[in-house]
Amino acid sequence: MPLPGIYDTATILLQKVLDLREQKQQNIAANIANADTPGYTPVHLEFEADLRQALAQPGTKAVATHPAHFPINTGRIEDVQARTVRSPGSRFGDRNTVDLEQEMTALAENQLLYEATAQMLNKKLGLLKYVAQGGR
Amino acid sequence: MDIFQSMKISSSALQAQQIRLNTISSNLANIETTRTPEGGPYRKKSVIFRTVNQPAFDQQLASSLQEGARGVEVARITTDNRPPKTIYDPSHPDADSAGYVAFPDINLLEEIADLMSATRTYEANVTVIKSAKRMALKALDIGK
Repeated sequence: MPLPGIYDTATILLQKVLDLREQKQQNIAANIANADTPGYTPVHLEFEADLRQALAQPGTKAVATHPAHFPINTGRIEDVQARTVRSPGSRFGDRNTVDLEQEMTALAENQLLYEATAQMLNKKLGLLKYVAQGGR
Repeated sequence: MDIFQSMKISSSALQAQQIRLNTISSNLANIETTRTPEGGPYRKKSVIFRTVNQPAFDQQLASSLQEGARGVEVARITTDNRPPKTIYDPSHPDADSAGYVAFPDINLLEEIADLMSATRTYEANVTVIKSAKRMALKALDIGK
């Protein structure tokens, strides 16, 4: 639970990014696993634009008034949800549209960005630790 | 944890590709088999993949809202019903009265191409598992 004052926007953002990248990893895994499934169309997760928007204007609000409502992006970083984009199908061959090279590139990119995010979060926590120990 | 889910998805693909590899090696091994328990020459087998765990509508909606990431499984193994190719060889014990032997109609190039495709997909999935593991290890380092 983020305590107010201890964690700044950057830390919350980094946590959120780790979460979303983990989801994306799962998504890419599913696309690669189904690279030979007839009729499968790959699904991609997108969240970068939503995160950028939430960072730029944190005031915009849309409130879910019922727990069964669709998740809405409330404009807060914590509430940013990944959007699924299904690529168009094909009528040729086995109607599978997975591009293995594209997925492998996305996988490598996602992994690197995850590791970078984890490292930045580490540094942030290191800074907090340094302060908590009185600079020792 | 999501990382393990991603590993499970990839391992389902490894399993499915392994079964595909088995059918390919069975096809190659039996490329000249003229006797089978079912009678007649061997017939080419191929696998059909499908996405696992097609959930009910509400679950499907929920999963497509979250991630909709699913693994793969072998739906069934089909037997090809191409007619066997007949080759004239009167000295063969399985030759018919006219001297023709029915051999399985298996195309070697087709099988090798399939084999390469299976290997490539298998390797891709191994890479995904490795990457998921690296991510999980990196996450363990947070706060050290």
